[in-house]
Order: sequence, then C-alpha cells, then structure tokens
Amino acid sequence: MTIKFIIFLLVSTLIYANKVEIVKGLPFVTVEIDGKMFKIERNQVKDSYLTNTFALTSRPSPPFFIEPFSVSEGIETYGELEVLDFISKKKGLFIDARLSNWYKRSAIPSALNIPFKHFLYESDEQIKVFKKLGGVLNKSQDEWNFKHVKMLLFYCNGAWCGQSPTAINALLENGYPKEKLKYYRGGMQSWQLLGLTTIVPKEKK
Amino acid sequence: MRIILLALIYTLSSYAGQFNKVRITPEISYIYVYHKGKAVKVHRIQDTKNKLTGEYAKTYRPNKDIQPIKIAKDVKTIGEVELLRFMKKKVNKKRGILVDLRTKKEYKEESIPSAVNIPSKIITNKVKVEKILKILGAVRLPDGSLDTSKVLGVAFYCNGLWSKKSSSFIKKFLEMGYPADKILYYRGGFQMWKILGFTTVTN
Repeated sequence: MTIKFIIFLLVSTLIYANKVEIVKGLPFVTVEIDGKMFKIERNQVKDSYLTNTFALTSRPSPPFFIEPFSVSEGIETYGELEVLDFISKKKGLFIDARLSNWYKRSAIPSALNIPFKHFLYESDEQIKVFKKLGGVLNKSQDEWNFKHVKMLLFYCNGAWCGQSPTAINALLENGYPKEKLKYYRGGMQSWQLLGLTTIVPKEKK
Repeated sequence: MRIILLALIYTLSSYAGQFNKVRITPEISYIYVYHKGKAVKVHRIQDTKNKLTGEYAKTYRPNKDIQPIKIAKDVKTIGEVELLRFMKKKVNKKRGILVDLRTKKEYKEESIPSAVNIPSKIITNKVKVEKILKILGAVRLPDGSLDTSKVLGVAFYCNGLWSKKSSSFIKKFLEMGYPADKILYYRGGFQMWKILGFTTVTN
C-alpha cells in the first residue's frame, strides 16, 4: 500500500513536475484573474526561443530609448521574483501602462491596463483613474489628497519602453507617495525571455 | 541635380554614422570605451528589423533560477545606462573594472566592450583570488586582514537574469571584506545587452 503510494507519487512527479522552476522549489505561482486562479510558470518546452516582436533589438528613437534602472530616487525597481510575490499576494494594483493595442496582444497575467496617457493630462479619465487608486479631490477640486492610496506596480514593454516611467512620473508630479510606487523595468521583454507565462487578456464588457 | 543627390546621400550616410536612428538615451547615441588598448565605439544595432537569435534568445532554461533584483545591502543593481556611465567615467580612466564572470569560452566568443574575464569558478582558487584582490587595489596586511580603503569600483555581469554567477561571486567577495559600495551588479547581463542590440567584441 505504502509502496504503491510512493510509486504513484514518483510517477506523478515525473509527469507533472515542472523541470524549469521559477526558483528551486517553486515550480509556479498562482494569481487571481476575474475570480479564477491562474498559474504562472516558465516555459517547459525544450529548445524554445523568443521569436516574436520582443526579439527585436532595435526600436526606433524617438520614441524608444533605454530607460534608466530607476525612475526616480526612492522608487523601487522590481525584478520578476518581486513581481510574482506582489501579484500572488495581491499587495496592490498591478498596472500595465501601455497603450491598449499593446496590452490586447499579450500581457502579464492579472495586470490591469491603464494606459499612461490617462495619468498625464487633467481630464475626466485622469479623475476616474486617480479615484480608483484611492485619491481624493479636495473641495475646490484642484488638488489631490493621496494619503490613503494603493500600492502600485507598473510595467510596460521593457528596458526600451518609456510608457510606465511616464505614468510614474505623472503620479509623482501630482503628489503620489514614492514608497507606494514600484517599477518592473524588465517588462514584457524580460518576462518572455525567461519563458514566463503571458496571456491574451479577455475583452472587458 | 546630381550635386543635390550627392549632398543628400552624404547627409543621410553621416546621419547613419552617428547611430541616431536607434539611440541609447535622448542625449547619447554612442560612447567610446577602451577594450584591450583599442577604442571601441559602443552603440546599438541600427537595423530596426533585426531580431536576436541563437543562444541568448533561448527561453528554456532548466535549473536556472530567476535571480532577485538585489544581491546584498549597498550593492547597487544597475541597468545599461548606468553601466555605460561606469565604463566611461571609471573603466576608461582606469578607476574601475568591468568583470565578465562567464566562462572563458563564452567570453572569447563575444563580450561587452571593455570587460575583462574572471570565470566565476576562480573564486575557489585562493592564489588567483588573492591576485585579483591585489589588482583591484586591496592590500593584505601582516595580520591577515584586508585593507580595502583604496580599492577600485567593480561592475560584475554574467549570462543574464537566470544566471547566479554574479550573485555567488559577489557574496564571496563581500565575505572577503570587499566593500559593498564599490560593487555594481549588472543583472541584465550579456543577454539583455544582446537583446538591446548593443555593440559586442570578440576576444
């Protein structure tokens, strides 16, 4: 009985275990998307290569330049492990700051798309977004109170993409607290180079 | 007409020569660094259709843990812009060293310009480590302790986000007493350098 059980365990491990783990002992991480649990893991298919548009080395400047490692002093830059920890433990809002045509093609699971333009200019969109983040407009409607806002983690296409740094800078200018802003600089490009799961987000109605 | 055409071609070619089409930052399109005594122009590939292929485009990396963003307190993790600044301000002036921790074979094939090769496995060789520390400006005192007051800044890199060579090596270096604020970690490593289309050299 016990031997059978051990054999069963061994076989099932052989069949189901991820050969490529995120880190040793952590084969995958689960995140929640629309109330359902979703698994993020690394590519298990031998000899896979990045061949889509994220393999492109040279995006034209402008608008594309290499972004500094840090957006601004006091704003933490995250790597993939820190991103996975943030989204699996739901430490705050995980924001894809790219224009929606990028996001619709593929994105990091559980990310919410708020294009950087919505942070930039005073508009109804900006008011909607800032309120969603926990901001409160004062009585004269000209200043934001960001005392009780959410923790935000931003990403975009990668080291050559300025969309999430632009969004972060816009929030800073409006007085959003630095310690509530995080930046995943590697973005879509590093994510896919590591063979991490991406999704094509469902259209929201 | 012909003169106008020639002038146009000349303008276009000189424009291309400045590597302006695909720049590094809004201000910088290339920098010069010294690699083994020779000046090398470091810029990005200008062909906007170019894709990374081969070993560094691989996404299947069994037994290669994703590395954390930070190795140790006070050891700064940097990206390409900061690395280039280090190369220009420190390495070019012999006030800093860029170290490639990959294997000798990998380094020979292709490396970041201005980098020297210290294969990470050397860390177990006490004689060689002692030599390296000396080159970096550390002085072994008679009582066995290490005077690191005049050491050079060192930037380390290895294969990329999934390679632990830098983190293992840097941790050992810290244990030996090398000051953390003199160490930089280019986490993106050779893979990110390649996928951003930066100039490489063969050794």
